[in-house]
Order: sequence, then C-alpha cells, then structure tokens
Amino acid sequence: MREIMMFIVILLPVVTGIVIPFLPFKKRKHMEIFLESFVILNSLLVFWLLMNRPAEPFTLAKFTGDLTITFKLDGMGMVFSGLVSALWPLATLYAFEYMTKEEHEKIFFTFYTMTFGVTLGIALAGNMLTMYFFYELLTLVTVPLVMHTLTREAILASRKYLYYSLGGAAFAFIGLIFIVIYGNTTDFILGGVLNLDKIGGRTDVLLLIYVMAFMGFGVKAAICPFNSWLPDAGVAPTPVTALLHAVAVVKAGAFAILRLTYYSFGTEFLKGTWAQNVVMVIVMFTIVYGCSRAVKETHIKRRLAYSTISNLSYILFGAVIMTPLGMMGALTHMVFHAVMKICSFFCAGAIMHQTDKHYVHELDGLGYQMPGVFAIFTISAFGLMGVPGFAGFISKWNLAGAAVESGNPLAYAGIVCLLISALLTAIYMLTIVVRAFFPEKSFDNSKIKEYRDPNWKMMVPLSIFAILILIFGLYSGPIVDFLTDVANGLY
Amino acid sequence: MYLLFNLTENLPILFKVDAMSIIFAAVTIIIFLGSGIFSLEYMKHEQKKKRFYVFYLLAFLVLMGLCFAGNLITFYLFFEMLTLASTPLVLHSGSREANMAGLKYLFYSLCGAYMALFGLYFVSKYGNTLTFSEGGVINQELAAGHTGLLLVAAFVMILGFSVKAGMFPMHAWLSAAHPVAPAPASAVLSAVIVKAGVLGIIRVIYYIFGAAFLKGTWVQTAFMVLTLITIFMGSMLAYREPVLKKRLAYSTVSQVSYILFGLSAMDMNSVTGGVLHVIAHGFIKAALFLCAGAIIYMTGKTKVEELKGIGKEMPLLMWCYTIVSLGLIGIPPTGGFISKWYLAMGSLETGIPGFSWIGPVVLLVSALLTAGYLLPITIQGFFPGADYDYKALKKKEPSALMTVPVLILTVLTVFMGLFPGQLISWIQQAVTKLI
Amino acid sequence: MDFIRNFPAIAILLCLFAGIITSGLKQKAARILNTVLICIELVLNGCTLFYTVITGEAFVYVMGKFPAPWGNEIRAGVLEGMMGFFFCVIMLLSMLGGKKKLFDEVEESKMSLYYVLTDLLLSSLLALVYTNDLFTAYVFVEINTIAACGLIMIRQNGRTIEAAVRYMIMSLLGSGMLLLGICMLYDLTGHLLMSNIKESVQLIVAQGSYRVPILVTIALMCVGLAIKSALFPFHAWLPDAYGYSTVSSAAMLSSLVSKGYIFLLLKIIYRVLGFDVFKNSHIIDVLFVFGLMGMIFGSLNAIAENDVRRMIAFSSVAQIGYIYMGIGMGTKAGMVASAFHILSHAATKSLLFIAAIGLTDVSGGSRKFIELTGAAYRNKWAGVTFTVGSLSMVGVPMFSGFISKLLFAQAAVQNHAKMLPALIVLAISTILNAIYFMKTVIRIYTPVENTPYEKITFKDMKLYAVILVCFIVLNVLLGISSQPVVDLIEQGLSMFA
Repeated sequence: MREIMMFIVILLPVVTGIVIPFLPFKKRKHMEIFLESFVILNSLLVFWLLMNRPAEPFTLAKFTGDLTITFKLDGMGMVFSGLVSALWPLATLYAFEYMTKEEHEKIFFTFYTMTFGVTLGIALAGNMLTMYFFYELLTLVTVPLVMHTLTREAILASRKYLYYSLGGAAFAFIGLIFIVIYGNTTDFILGGVLNLDKIGGRTDVLLLIYVMAFMGFGVKAAICPFNSWLPDAGVAPTPVTALLHAVAVVKAGAFAILRLTYYSFGTEFLKGTWAQNVVMVIVMFTIVYGCSRAVKETHIKRRLAYSTISNLSYILFGAVIMTPLGMMGALTHMVFHAVMKICSFFCAGAIMHQTDKHYVHELDGLGYQMPGVFAIFTISAFGLMGVPGFAGFISKWNLAGAAVESGNPLAYAGIVCLLISALLTAIYMLTIVVRAFFPEKSFDNSKIKEYRDPNWKMMVPLSIFAILILIFGLYSGPIVDFLTDVANGLY
Repeated sequence: MYLLFNLTENLPILFKVDAMSIIFAAVTIIIFLGSGIFSLEYMKHEQKKKRFYVFYLLAFLVLMGLCFAGNLITFYLFFEMLTLASTPLVLHSGSREANMAGLKYLFYSLCGAYMALFGLYFVSKYGNTLTFSEGGVINQELAAGHTGLLLVAAFVMILGFSVKAGMFPMHAWLSAAHPVAPAPASAVLSAVIVKAGVLGIIRVIYYIFGAAFLKGTWVQTAFMVLTLITIFMGSMLAYREPVLKKRLAYSTVSQVSYILFGLSAMDMNSVTGGVLHVIAHGFIKAALFLCAGAIIYMTGKTKVEELKGIGKEMPLLMWCYTIVSLGLIGIPPTGGFISKWYLAMGSLETGIPGFSWIGPVVLLVSALLTAGYLLPITIQGFFPGADYDYKALKKKEPSALMTVPVLILTVLTVFMGLFPGQLISWIQQAVTKLI
Repeated sequence: MDFIRNFPAIAILLCLFAGIITSGLKQKAARILNTVLICIELVLNGCTLFYTVITGEAFVYVMGKFPAPWGNEIRAGVLEGMMGFFFCVIMLLSMLGGKKKLFDEVEESKMSLYYVLTDLLLSSLLALVYTNDLFTAYVFVEINTIAACGLIMIRQNGRTIEAAVRYMIMSLLGSGMLLLGICMLYDLTGHLLMSNIKESVQLIVAQGSYRVPILVTIALMCVGLAIKSALFPFHAWLPDAYGYSTVSSAAMLSSLVSKGYIFLLLKIIYRVLGFDVFKNSHIIDVLFVFGLMGMIFGSLNAIAENDVRRMIAFSSVAQIGYIYMGIGMGTKAGMVASAFHILSHAATKSLLFIAAIGLTDVSGGSRKFIELTGAAYRNKWAGVTFTVGSLSMVGVPMFSGFISKLLFAQAAVQNHAKMLPALIVLAISTILNAIYFMKTVIRIYTPVENTPYEKITFKDMKLYAVILVCFIVLNVLLGISSQPVVDLIEQGLSMFA
C-alpha cells in the first residue's frame, strides 16, 4: 500500500493538472478551491509517506532488460520531496493572486500542477533511469510555463531553455549508460554502485564520463557556462520563476548531481581525482560569476536569477567536496536556499504585480508604500547574505565547515569564493533595500502614493517564508541533525 | 557566562563579562549618552528624526551585545548587525553623496566581516571552543602541521576586523562615511563603532589565537607594518584635507591605528597603551566631532578656511576643542598623553629589530602632523588676524544641550590625564593575563 | 502449420500479381485493392514471424524445387519476418495517412499507376528482405529503384522530375557498384546463393588468399548500398526526393526504401561475408566514421533548413548515420541497435512526414516555418503527433527514439576504441536534433493573431486522425515495451549466423 502510494503522489497532480482544462468551472474561485485542495491533499499524502516510510521499492514497469522504473523513498528523496511538498501549496496560493493579471490561466495551472508530480517523480526515483526519465519530463512540462506569455521574448527563452536542458540531458545520458554498464545495479545506493572489477584500468575514461554527466545535469543547475537560459527564463510569470527556476527545476539539477556523485559513482571513487578538481573549479567559478552578473543586472527578476545561479553552485560546491559533511552542507543549502529564494522572488513578483515596476532603479521609496513586502524582502536579503540569525548563515556555515574539514586546499579556495559571493550578494540585495527605504532627498513621494501591499493571498505565503527564514536561522538543530543523518546514510 | 540560546549545537550565543567588555562598554555608554544629548538639539534641523533615533538606539543595543559577546560567533553576529544597524545613520541625510557613502560603508564593512568569517571557519575546526579565553583556544594537537594555514586565517581575520577600524588598505570608507552622517552619528561612528573593529582584533589576537601563537610570526610583522603605514598616511591625509569633518575622519584613521599598533606589538605596555587610547581617543574624537557638528549647526560652515574667528563667536566650544586637540596630539595633562606614553614605551620594549624604534618615530611624526592639522583651527579661530571684521561678530554659542556634552567629554579627557593611576593598574592587571 | 513456409514466396508473388492487375483497374478499385493487398501482406508476414518464433529456427524455401547451388531460395527467420511485418504496417499507415493529399497532388489518370508502383515497391522490399540469393536481391534492388523513381515523379512538377532524375542517377550508380561486387564475389566463389558464398568466403579467408579482391568486394557492396540508403556524403539526392514528392511517397521512401537497402546490407554482412570477415576489414571503420559525420552534418543541414519537409528529410540523413554508426561498431550489440533503429526510425519518420502534411495543409500549403506559426492550434491532432515524433527523435524516454539511443550508447560502451567518439557524437547529435525539432514544435505552438487559415476539426479528418493515433501508439509501444522487440532482433541475428 505504502509502496503504491509513492506512485500515486506522482500521478495525482499530473492527473489533476490534465483534467483542469476539461472541467467546466463556473467561477474562477471554484477552480482555485479545487486546485488548492488537491495540491494540499497531495502534499499531505507526501508528508504521510515521509512519516511512514515505505521500506520496499516499488517497481512500476520494466523498460528494457534490467532497466526499470522504480520508486524508492530514501533520505535524499525525503528531503527533496518534503521540500517540494511544503512549498507547492503556498506557491499555488500565491499564483492564484498573481495570475489574475495574466491570460489563459487554465493552461498555466495545468502544467504548474503537473510539474508538482514530475518533480516528486525525481525525488522518489529509485534508480538512475527513473530519475533520467522524470528529469526529461520535467523539461517538457515546464516549457509551456516559460512560454506562457507568448511574447517573442518568451518564445526565444523557452527555446533556449529546451535546447540547454535537452542538450544537458544528452550528456547526462552518457553517465546513465556508464552506470548501467559498469555498475552493479542502477539503483541509488549511498557510496556508489560502480563495479571496480569491471572498470579495470579504465578509470580515466570513467572520470571523464563523470565530468560530462556532471556538466549535463549541471545545465539544469545552471553551472557556468550553461547558465544563460536561467535569467532568460525569467520572462515566465513569477510563480514559475520563483518555484521552478529557484526551487523545483534547478534543484532537480543539483539533486541529480548529488545522486550521481554520492549514490552512483560514489565518493570513494571520485575523491581526490582530477575530476573532482575540475568540477570544483567550475563550481567555484560559477559562484563568483553568478554574483557578479547579478550585481550588474538591473532587472529585478534577472538579478535574482543570477543570484540563483550562484547559490545553486553553493549546493554543488557542497556536493563536490565529496564528504558526508559536504553532502550535509549541500542539502542544508538546498532546503534553506529554496525558502529564501522563493521568498525574494515572491517579493519581486508582488512588487511587479502591484506596481508594474521591473527595474531596480524604479523602486525608490517604495519601502514606505509597501512596508510588508519590503520588510520581508530585507529578511530574505539578510538570509541570502548569510547574516547570522538568518537561514543562510547556517547553510554557509555547514558548507564552509565541510570545506575546512575536507582538508582539500582547493576547497579552502572555495570558501574564499563563498565569501566573495556573500559580499556581492550583499551588494545586489541591499542596494534594492536601500533604494526602497532610503530614497534620495529629492525624491517625489506623490508619484507612488497609490501603491499598496498586496492582499492576503500573497502576503500569507510571503510571511510564512520570512518566518521560516528566521526559524531556520535561529533554531536549525533538528533539521540539520536530520540532514546529517541523511548524509550519513541512516535513511 | 550567560547562554542565550544555541544557534546550532556547537554555535551557542553567549555573553560574558571581562575587563575588555567593561572598558568598551563604558566608553560606549558615555559617548552614546553624550552624543544623544547633543543630538536633541542638533536633530532639530534634520528630517525623519524618528528613523534616526531608531537606528541610533539599535546601534547602541548592538554595541552592548558586541561588548559582552562571550564567544566568537556571538561577536560575529553582533558585528554584522552593527554594520546593518549603523548604515542607516550614514544614509540618513538622503543626499546622493550620503547614499554612496552609506553603501560604501556597508560593503567595506561586510567585506571585513566576511574576511573575519573566513578565519572563523578555520578556528571552529582547529580550536577547542569558540568561547573567548585568555591565551587562546587553538588546539595544539589539531593545529600541528597546519600552522601556516592558521596563520593565514589569523591574518585574514585581523585584516577583516581592521576594515571596521579603518586600517590601510581598507580605510577608504571612513573618510566618505563620517562626514556625511549627522554630527552625533559621526561622533559615535568615529569614537565607538570603529572601536568594534579594535575589540574584534583584541579578541582574535589575545582570546582566540593567543599572543604566544602569533608573536614573532610574519602575521605580527605584516600587521605592524600596516598599522604604521596607516598612522602616517592618515595624518598626512588629514593634514591636506580642507573639510573639517573629513579632516577629523582621516585623523580617526590615523589614531585608531595607534591602538592597533599597540595591539600588534603584543607587549604588556603597548597593549595597555592601546586600551588606554581606546578610551582617550573615544572621548576626544567624540568631542571633536560634536564641536564640528555644533559649528555646522550654528554657522553652516564646513571648511577649515571659513573658520576664521570662530573662537570669538563660540569661545566655550572652541576652548573645549583646543583642549581635546592637545589631548589628541598627546600633550600632558590629557588622556592622550598617557596612552601615547605607554604605546611608545611598549614599542621600545618589544625588542623586535627595527620596529622597536621605527614605531616611536612614526608616532612622534604623526603627533606633529596631528598638531599641524588640528591647531590651525584654534589659532585662526582665536586670532583671526588684522583684517577680521569685528563689527560683524555675533555671539553664536550653541545652547546648553550642545555645549554640556562637549564639556563633559573634555573634562573626562583631562581627568583621565590627571588621575590615570587607578585605571592603568586595573588595565595592566587585565593585560597581564593576556600576554 | 508447415504451409506457412510458403507464405514469404506467396507474399512476394501476390504483390507482383496485384501490380499487374491494378494496371487495368480504375482509380477507386485500385485503391481498395491496394489497401486489401497490404492487409493481406500484413497477415502473411505476421504469420511468418509467428511461425519462426514458434519453431525457433529459420527455414529455407526453394523456388521451383531446384536444389542448391542452382536454385533460387527464399529464407525466412525471425528478423526477416519482423521486418516484413513491420514494413507492411508502416506502408499501410503511410498510404492511408497520405491518401487525401494523394488526390490533391496526383493527376487522376495516374492514380492507378501510383498504386501499381506501390505494389511493386512492396514486392521488391519483401523480396529484399526474404531472398537468400544475391542475384535475386540485385534484380529486386533494380525494381525497387524504378518503383521509387516513379513514386517521386508521380507528382509532376519541375522539382520532382529533377529530384527523380537525380535519385535515379545516384541509385543506378549504387546498383552498379553492388552489381560489380556481386560479380566479383561470383568470380571468387562461383556461387550466388548466400549460404554457399559464405562457406567459400570463409575458406578463402582462412587460406589467406585473395585479400585485396575480397576487400574491394566488401567496399563495393557497402558503398553501393550506402549510396542507395543515403549515407553521408552520398545524401545529395535525398532532400529533394523526400521533400517534394507526395507525402505518402516521402514517408515510404524514407522509412522503407532506404531501410530495405540497409537490411540487405545487414544480410550481406551476416549471411554472405560472415560477420568476422566484415569486422576485420577496415571498411567497417569507414562506415563508422561516415555514420558519425552523417549524424552531425545531417542535423546541421536540417537546422539551416527553412522548409519543414526538407528539414525532416535532412533529419533522415542524420538518422541513417546512427544506423551506420551502429553497424560500424562491429559488435553484436551495435547490430541489434541498428536493427532496432531501422524499426524505430521507420515508425517515427513516417509519422513526422504524415503529421507535417497535416500542419502544412492548415497553413495554406506552405511549408515555410513562418507560415506554420500556430499550426498546431489549427490542427490539434497533427500538432500533438508532430510533437510526439519530435520528442522521439530527440530521444525523450517513453518514445521509441530513446530506446534506440539507449541501445546505441550501450553498444558503444562495449567497444572501447570507438566508445568516446560514438558517445560524444551521440550527445551532440541529440542536442542538434533538439534544436531543430524543438524549434519547430515551439513554432507550431506559437499562437498567431489574425491568421487567414482556418481550423480543422476531427470531423474533417477522421481517417487521418485515426492514423495519427495509430502512429503515436506504435511509437509509444516501441518506446515502453521494447524488450520483446529487442529479444526478437537478437534471436533473428543469431539465426542469421
């Protein structure tokens, strides 16, 4: 029963999404209630699953020979599925309000909800093939969301997104093949599944393949130089940018890399090799690169997108340290960054929704008109910067701690990158805050008189995220303990 | 020790009282009180008073937390908070200049904080604990073989905290931020908030790594060189600066590095001198900035050359100015003399080849420069020369709300110079445990 | 049950006779006869496949009871049965799917001729699949060429005539080389029956004599068939031939004709030369390299193309490159992958052609991309089908293309020397595929305002829609439960040897 439930939670949102265009809702409100209740139901089911973890994997179908579509709920799956299920209902609520200004929302909600299921599919995937399957599927169901506005820009962005994602998957595919051939099994097992006898003296080739697969999955996680799709994809409606391009899709990339590194190739095999150095350098470069681009960017959402690029590489940095502590750091940042980034994106969305302002230099003085939104934005900014007492500090602490612990000189350099990035983060986040709250003397208040904080549908998710940032920052013990257990393979 | 709560299992937020906390807290309280009283009058011609006081008090609160922080992580927490809480003070006036200066301050400070954080990561691995303890917390067993790494970490931390203290090469924010802030804010910035960096360095050197660990290493040498450069450079810059508040800001750059020099020498007397200078410079610089503020408030004049005859217009204020200026130069019987005396003595005693005598020389040259940039104001103020138009002279003495704080600070400076015995012995007692 | 052994021969002859009869029939009767014929062929081939699977071994049918080495033989194994069956399926779907277009594009007087040609094509294809005799193979290669030329030319405009001429010249060149190869083999061995030649060749190779002649023979036959199946760089005839002929022809040409030749090549490799002989010649590396280049250059050409039909045609070049890459790997796994890709690509490419025609029809018949904007909203069924085909081509799981890719990659890993180039080119080619197919998909789903073209609904195209659904089902079936098919291919290949 519990085993099948793993499939049901994936299927339910997909089905819910598909039926939306065919249901004759009299009022918009009915659709909202319908959707929200199903999303919440699904989230509850996921949480129930997390509480009553199914012991056995569930095999849905056989692909070819020994390649199967299998679901399994292990520690990492728990983290990712829990994260996604916690965020989705809130994001949906926010989307209801945001989408009032956009057209064909039924199609939008169709794909939006389907993505929930597909993302859970990645989280619950029990082997490489299943993950790859849902990974490709994720690309496909999210393309219509990027295309949503159907402007020329959106079309170009979605094309780019498709090319990059499918191209990345093509390289990830090579990794999949090698796991199939050189692994004992394709299932995810902490510590890796490579069969060292089969490899023989061909270590270097395998390492090369690892690097390729890393880059392949890294496309979704927006590592440099494959990151330019992410800021462009920001043309999508904010709920998409916030949830998918800050959490679900991009984290799926990071998640896949964690799986690849810790569960398929295995850290024992990779640690200390040239492959580790190569990927670490790439990740470190991305960390700094993303931030510097964010500083240069004046469009709010694009700025946040670049920030995401850099922060995703924090996660990957944790991943490529290749110690349990590193994985713990990566998972912590995965969770915390999700909350912080979705929060800041939702703030940006709220600003755009209320005022139609898209650029940083237009935000002068808005802090007094929309105190709620900007206060929350400030909290998220502090979080991203890593001010102690906010969530970001803890995750950075864990990442840097892991880097110090690893004793790898390159990882020390990584800490420097983290800190440079923190400084740049301060620059690009706080300039917004400063503008909003400290407009120049000559600023004319009367132009922005009519702008107000948005209504509860937006404010409730925002406040919850802000509170979460503080809670994670001040009382992270239980969750960090849990993640430590996950990284040590207790689940 | 008072444990507030645990950030994570091994990151407790805790508070502790020791000699350093008491000294820094006392200076903070006195100066905040003085500036606060001063600001009641001064802020009348500024806008958004409420916002100013919110951040003024917030900064005060954070500083208290900083002084009593019991371990490095708590210290770091309040250190970052301090930056965030004090930036709005710089931003306050809302002019373009102020905004740029505010952001500059913010980013320099954060940069420093993150450098400190870099070291913190390593300390947390190689230290027994993060709690400040006299003589350091580095675990010798773990650190064996990693000394080079730890020295780098220590140096980066020192550099990080020194940003706040305005040490070369990260001093540029200071001359931009201090002048644009309202006078009470500049006073606390210059007199107290930069001292947060000093406190940080004291904590790092004497309570985390331990003087024994750093003494004689390249870290000490490099730190010392930087402080000496800063002392000289700050004075030179101040000497060339026409705007009064900027001149005072550069003076801060130079003077705070006196303190840092004392700390870098890692000698009993020099550290005593440094701590004494924390107090003396705090009072003096606050008084000077308040004077400058009062002048701006009453006359609107900002440049030194406009201040001819100012002593005739506001004699009481300018007398105070003159006395504290003498203190900053280091002329007895003021607090500045005592502290510089110990600094010079300590530096001679270190026995580090070269530095033991270069130090005092630089201190002396800088003192001369200090006289050169502070006293002309007094001289022109009281002796405006023959072509001064005495008929246009009006008494512009500010109200008691402004003069009394300045007066009190002046008195304190002199008092400290006259009766330093108790204080010195108490500080020496504390410092002995550290060396 | 043994009467099933007659079915392959019956199937081939039936087609020939149907062709002859059709030439005297009116248009409608010809059409019905054609459809019925293909259905019957379907059943016959299905039975053959079934029979061989049941008995587990191949059988030889001797025409006219002349025993070897003089007679004319037909041989049916699992792989042959499967190919025959599959070709019939694709042909049926292509004919029905392109029916409407056929009426628009082909003059009424030539209609029955078209069906004649189709029947001949089918008969020659089946003969290529089943024959055990090199000379028979050659004869039907020629029939096939003629029929294909006719199919291209039947839609008469300047372009198609040019394309047909070009096709004919290239094709004849290929046939000529094949013929030379066959002649040389006959010279060397004195046989025309495949099994006999193989014995002789093994003997010759074991003795170590005639090294150069054997190599030349292999080269001639491989190049000849490569030209005919449009392996890069011999693909120049292809885009025009596929791009401008009527859609049924294009679908059949791309998914059947070229595949028939490739299958013949497979047969020659296994049944005439022997796998090891082939593997040890350097021709295999040449095929491998040209396969890889085809994968890249075909796709690059497709990206540059501005005409959807020609784009799909160029994509064929790339896909044929895949197949030759698989052959060129020289492992059994590579062969299995190639054989599977023959099926998978046949299913997908005909689907794409048929779906594309639905899209161009609702865009005023124009095949330029700019006109196709929003076409998927005007013809929803074709839009969805085209998307499915594209995804399959890109190799998204759940569709047949993914399995091909999986098999190719797995095969590549087993050949250490060729592993890295194969894998990297595979990945790059996937990206290129994604670029032009996804570009098209996004284009047809980009809405456009004030379009002059009208929507069409299910009512207007019942048959067409059903065919599209069949195509999708076929594709997804191959994608999801590929294991039985792969097993059959493996079984069939082992029967070859």
